[in-house]
Order: sequence, then C-alpha cells, then structure tokens
Amino acid sequence: MKKLASTLTDSAREIVVSRLIDGPQELVFEAFTDPAHLSNWYGPEGFSITTHSFELRPGGVWDFTMHGPDGTDYPNWIVFLEIAPPERIAYRHSETRDDPEPFFSTVNIASRGDRTEVTLRSVFETKEQREKVVQYGAVEGGEQTLGRLAEFVTALIGKGS
Amino acid sequence: MPATDHLVADEESRSIDIFLYGNMIRHMARAATTSDAFNAIAEPNRRAILTLLRGNERPVADVAGALGLQQPAASKHLKVLREVGLVYARRAGRQKLYGLDARGLEPVHIWTGGFEKFWSESFDRLDEYVKELQREEQSDEETG
Repeated sequence: MKKLASTLTDSAREIVVSRLIDGPQELVFEAFTDPAHLSNWYGPEGFSITTHSFELRPGGVWDFTMHGPDGTDYPNWIVFLEIAPPERIAYRHSETRDDPEPFFSTVNIASRGDRTEVTLRSVFETKEQREKVVQYGAVEGGEQTLGRLAEFVTALIGKGS
Repeated sequence: MPATDHLVADEESRSIDIFLYGNMIRHMARAATTSDAFNAIAEPNRRAILTLLRGNERPVADVAGALGLQQPAASKHLKVLREVGLVYARRAGRQKLYGLDARGLEPVHIWTGGFEKFWSESFDRLDEYVKELQREEQSDEETG
C-alpha cells in the first residue's frame, strides 16, 4: 500500500514521507542498516551505490557514492546520530564530511503485524536558520503541518502531480 | 511514427527524472536558487496569500481583510513574495493589484518532486527487496 505524504512545517523545510512495507519490522531494519542490503534498494530506479565505508554506531559514517544512469557520480556522507534497533535511525546527511549545511533525517520503523510502516522525516535548514533558533531559544515545533506541500504547489500551478 | 514518438517521450521523461534527482541530491540542503522561494512559503500567512491570489488579483486591503491582518503586515508579506517572484504587482487605474506568479513555484515543485520521487522509488525497491528476502528465507527453510 502506498502512502507518500510530503509536508512542510512552519519552522523549517521539513519533509515527511511514509510507506507500508510488506515485511516484518526486524527485516526492514536490517535492510536499512546493512550496506549489502542498502545497495539493493536505496535510491531511484537506475541508480547504484558504491559504499566506501560503513560504521553503524552513533558518530559512525556511511561514506558512499551514488551513480546516476547517465554516469554522473554524487558523493554522499552520512553520520549516524542515533541507532535504536529495530525502530529508529537518526542521521545527518551531506555531500562531504565538511559540508557546512547538512540536513537531518530520522527513520522510524514501526511494526504493523506482518508489515512495517516506514516514516522518514527530513529537516532542511540553513546555518542561519539553525543559529536563529539557538539565539531566540524558540523551537516552533509545536506547529504542525498545514497540508501537503506538493498538493499546495500543484494546486497553485494548476498541473496534475 | 508512433514507435519513435513513444521512445522520444520515454527518453525525455528519463532525462527529466535524472535532472530531478541530480538537482535534488545536489541541492537538498542548500537549494541555492530555490531557498528564497522556500523560505517565503515556509510562512503560513504567505501560503494563505498565494492561495487567495490564485483565484483573482487583489488589492492589499482585500488581502489584509481576507487574512485578518493589519495592512502593513499584509504589505510586508506581499513584499517578500514579490522579491522571490511569487507575486507581481500592477497598476489598474488608481488601484495597485497583486497577482500570483506561479512560475516562482517551479523550483519548489521540482525540488519536492525530486525528493518525493527519490523516496517513492526507493520504497518501491525496498518493498520488492524485502519480499524477495522473505522468499529466499522460505525456500532456504524448505530445502534446508
């Protein structure tokens, strides 16, 4: 069953996508945390990945290159922040180790009997935005999403999505 | 030729897909050319203004009234939206009318589209892969 909701919150660019996967929670968690498994599904159709290093622990790095079908290579640098088997992985994602503007994601892996609900929440903030939050001490996380960003945009530009 | 047309359309949509992913992967955090539009629509009042203007051009007093804002606040939001190319202004006689320029949303549309597509396809592949792993487990059990 497909359920893909992309939403935008007020405080930052945040996108939430979720899907019901036809398999048990432990297996889905394994698929997310073993580089051999990740090579077989992570990324769009036609893309492949080469893992240079992988260390599954807080502070550990997944250093990999994504190869596009047209031959373009995209460097990726993921630092794991939290690993809570079998239900949560939090990480920081950027192009390289020294990228000044990474984004932060949390994957929640919830058991639904024989199936698993995977929810990915990614937060995109510029350094200025992060500093602003620290400076004013306020986190506007209380405000929830006002609707699907994609639908909002589509409605305005009048195209089918 | 129908066959050729089909091939061209496929190639075109493929190259658009690649552009979406490349653009998205490269610019996910920064979105250099799109960050202004993003920041503009991160604010709910501004989203409400855009939705309002989609129907008709409006003067600032109408915008303020519809949103329950004081006029200076509405003007400020309209200024931000104009700066990022989401709203235009034009004179109609003595009135100044604001209208939606949906082209300003194109970068946002492309960016969110790319991210959604990335994960939609990854989840498709994950679903298939997990099912395959279970099939392999089952056949191992049967033969083992």
